[in-house]
Amino acid sequence: MTLLIKCMYLPFSFYSRMVSPAIALAFVPLLLTLIIKYRYYFVLFYRAVLVRIWKDCVTGLSREERAFQYVLTNSTPGDPDSILDAFDYWCSKVEFISNIGPKKGKILDRLLLEQSPLTVLELGAHCGYSTVRIARALPLGARLYSIEMDQGNAAIAEKIIRLAGFDDDTVELIVNPSDEVIPRLRSDYNLERLDFVFMDHWKKCYLPDLQLLEEYGLLGKGSMIVADNVLFPGAPKFLRYLRKCGLYEWKIHRAMLEYSRGIRDGMAELIYQGIK
Amino acid sequence: PHPSHFSPGDEDFQENHERQKHKGKRRNGERPKNKRENQRRQRSSKSVQGIREESQSTTERRERRRRRRGKEGEDEEEVNNDGEVRPELLSPEELEKLKEAVDEKKKLIQSLRGKPWPMKQKLVSLRESQLFVEKYEGALGKGKGRKLYAYKVMMTKKWKKFQRDFENFKTACIPWEMKIKEIESHFGSSVASYFIFLRWMYGINMILFGLTFGLVMVPEALMGRPYGSIPRKTVPRAEEAGAMDFAVLWDFGGYAQYSVLFYGYYNNQRAIGWFKFRMPLSYFLVGVGTVAYSYMVVIRTMARNANESGVGDDNSFNFSWKMFTSWDYLIGNPETADNKFASITTSFKEAILEEQESRKDDNIHLTRFLRVLANFLVLCCLAGSGYLIYFVVRRSQKFALDGLENHTWWERNEVNMVMSLLGMFCPMLFDVISALENYHPRVALQWQLGRIFALFLGNLYTFIIALMDAINLKRKEEKVVKYNITMWEASLYNGTGPENSTGPPVTIHPADVPRGPCWETMVGQEFVRLIISDTMTTYITLLIGDFLRAVLVRFLNHCWCWDLEAGFPSYSEFDVSGNVLGLIFNQGMIWMGAFYAPCLPALNLLRLHVSMYLQCWAVMCCNVPQERVFKASGSNNFYMAMLLVILFLSTLPAIYTIVTIPPSFDCGPFSGKNRMFDVIQETLESDFPAWFSKVFSYASNPGLVLPFILLMVLAIYYLQSTSKSYREANVELKNKLQMVTQRLDNFVLLTSYGSDFILNA
Repeated sequence: MTLLIKCMYLPFSFYSRMVSPAIALAFVPLLLTLIIKYRYYFVLFYRAVLVRIWKDCVTGLSREERAFQYVLTNSTPGDPDSILDAFDYWCSKVEFISNIGPKKGKILDRLLLEQSPLTVLELGAHCGYSTVRIARALPLGARLYSIEMDQGNAAIAEKIIRLAGFDDDTVELIVNPSDEVIPRLRSDYNLERLDFVFMDHWKKCYLPDLQLLEEYGLLGKGSMIVADNVLFPGAPKFLRYLRKCGLYEWKIHRAMLEYSRGIRDGMAELIYQGIK
Repeated sequence: PHPSHFSPGDEDFQENHERQKHKGKRRNGERPKNKRENQRRQRSSKSVQGIREESQSTTERRERRRRRRGKEGEDEEEVNNDGEVRPELLSPEELEKLKEAVDEKKKLIQSLRGKPWPMKQKLVSLRESQLFVEKYEGALGKGKGRKLYAYKVMMTKKWKKFQRDFENFKTACIPWEMKIKEIESHFGSSVASYFIFLRWMYGINMILFGLTFGLVMVPEALMGRPYGSIPRKTVPRAEEAGAMDFAVLWDFGGYAQYSVLFYGYYNNQRAIGWFKFRMPLSYFLVGVGTVAYSYMVVIRTMARNANESGVGDDNSFNFSWKMFTSWDYLIGNPETADNKFASITTSFKEAILEEQESRKDDNIHLTRFLRVLANFLVLCCLAGSGYLIYFVVRRSQKFALDGLENHTWWERNEVNMVMSLLGMFCPMLFDVISALENYHPRVALQWQLGRIFALFLGNLYTFIIALMDAINLKRKEEKVVKYNITMWEASLYNGTGPENSTGPPVTIHPADVPRGPCWETMVGQEFVRLIISDTMTTYITLLIGDFLRAVLVRFLNHCWCWDLEAGFPSYSEFDVSGNVLGLIFNQGMIWMGAFYAPCLPALNLLRLHVSMYLQCWAVMCCNVPQERVFKASGSNNFYMAMLLVILFLSTLPAIYTIVTIPPSFDCGPFSGKNRMFDVIQETLESDFPAWFSKVFSYASNPGLVLPFILLMVLAIYYLQSTSKSYREANVELKNKLQMVTQRLDNFVLLTSYGSDFILNA
């Protein structure tokens, strides 16, 4: 028993011998500074990770399924706007899903309106938010190819897209990893040239996928590529490549991370110029 | 292909050759030139503003050209007649004409910059006239006179070149100028202002070091009694064993304590060496002189800065000034050009941001509330840190009473550690809190400076109060020791026996003689330790917080799940306010402690030197420019004001100890005296003639001193009021000038419209 008490006491005595409490107290300002400075990151961590794990355990459903349930009950079928609103509400108030979000979405809408592309490729549909957003802004007769790797997410995305009232002619969902699909786009889907590409999948895949697109000649002069989240979580290799290669005219739209304040993020807009 | 200098031997030949060549050229070149001029005139008629000047200048030039052509024609004829040109053969009138032409060309070269011509034309005419001058200048004068003239011309050229080189040399001699300029171009003027301040501080410390080193340390080391001759210059027997250990030396004990580095080592011998150097007097005067010099320099610099800031008019036509006058056309080095480019871009960014700031308007009530809240939080933080230091100091006093040997290293150095840590972390907290206030960055910087100032001041004064307690303890100890020593001496003489007193006196090794605690050396040691620990903290923070962070961010970025460079840890920014205040407080400690530890200025000099290089390197290699770059105008005087306050606050305790506490009885240059400043009286009495001390005693009579002070106050008041009226007059004149220029502008506009109208009609 005494041994046990000694053992319990040991760390405390060690602590008091090593560092006096006053010195430990002097670190309080540092701790406060770190907490205040990075509060948005802590909040994000809480909402995106802790709440998700907790809800997963409690409900037994995946996050995307929960989101879908909410959207299904709180939106008008066939109305993309109400579906997007329901998504935005759920993501900002209930849980966190990394969609493109309303603010950056506005930029995306504007770019789509300016460009009015006929063939659009979306990499990473996730649960269909951005797919609906793009499809909504497309001109008549345009076609959107959406690639999603995960089966479960793809099923939900499919449901959401159909719920929004887009049929197979407008949106085609392809369930496969992007690096397998891109080489087959020309042969299987008869695509000659992509007018608009939206990237929102794994940040590590931005660069290899862009290079694949270049390699298979899917980009023509004036094709626009928009990549989300290039600053946070960030795609440094992608940006470095852009700076170096000189094939694109590009800029970064700076904005905040979706559904949170105080975390900087950016959306890269690239226009393919071809080899000069 | 023209000779740039004259060599008397083959001059004639060359000249001939040249002249022939040029003649051909000029004959060919004359016609296209005229055509060009016609074109230019046509073009210029379109522009409305400069029309009159243009036409004037063209007529002038035509006139001149006609004259010149006539002259050249004459020259040519002569050449043709004679076959070869020898200036000696020219008639006096011709020579006169030539001289006139050369003078005219020279005048043209000088006034070319102000002429309203296109750049191309300017360049052409400049080249032409330079060639002309070069060719004929040497030809003027005859025989011996001519050679002399050529020599004179050559010498003036060389002299001019030398002057220019000397200017360059002078700029190159300003230490670290290039480094600072480079930093300024990349990080903006606010970061550069820190380094300029650092350099200025280095200069002052150089002087302080020169004074203490030259007048105190070196004389004592060379001419004073050597080490080991008297007790105060010897390591006591008890400490001898560990006196050379690194740990002891690092704490400035052992041999370091018993050396010229500290007050206790100095002897109270009135005059040392063969030329009777008055050591105690010199020590005292140097102590006073360093402080007086610092006051003088700081106040003078403040006054000069105030003058400079009063003259310029920063507000109007800001962007136009920047647009048209930024580029430095003398830059020849591509790297410098890059830097200049970067600096101009930065300055534009600064200006645009400032303009934006000034046009912003927000919810004023919310902002006010947030500002009050922020100040409240900062006050809480200050109170907390003050209490923590108070607590630590009390604890350390308890430890000191217990005996320091029973405690760990952490506990012994608790005060220093806690002070350094608080000084490091609290500013970070203030910085975060100040984000609430939403001030312009320059104002925010001043608030931040003020807050850190309060924090550091609190820390410093807590430290001084603790030190005062320690001094009182030592003085009590000293009393006991003094009593013991008399007893010990008595016993010594008793032991040898009273009958033997006529024999040789007892010789005891100086290391064995008991001695007092010498509080002055203790104070000096404390300050030196504080400086060392402060320096160490700064450098370690720099290496860990900046360098290590930069390395991690840079190299872990390849294999991390988010972008480290743009996102979360990122690279650090240069902390201007913290660094400036660190520097200022460091200097305050030097001023406080330099009297008791003459080595302090030397240490500080070393520290500043190292930190100049280290921080320059760290800034360029691991920091990123602030997100909101801003101009540091006017903040220099803010630094100076803070320095003045610190100077005042740091001389207070030093003067207090000198005036009120009697010096130790057995160490230091003032031992045996009642007060330290008694050394002045002693000098007056023994080194000056009697009448002088009499005059001095009359002069120090209150009846004389009070009217004098009154007079001084009156003079200050008078100067103050006159300067105020001057300033008002200045402002009025400026307004008047602006009005006049405005009217003139209107007038010019009117007339130009008028001429436009006439032309169109």
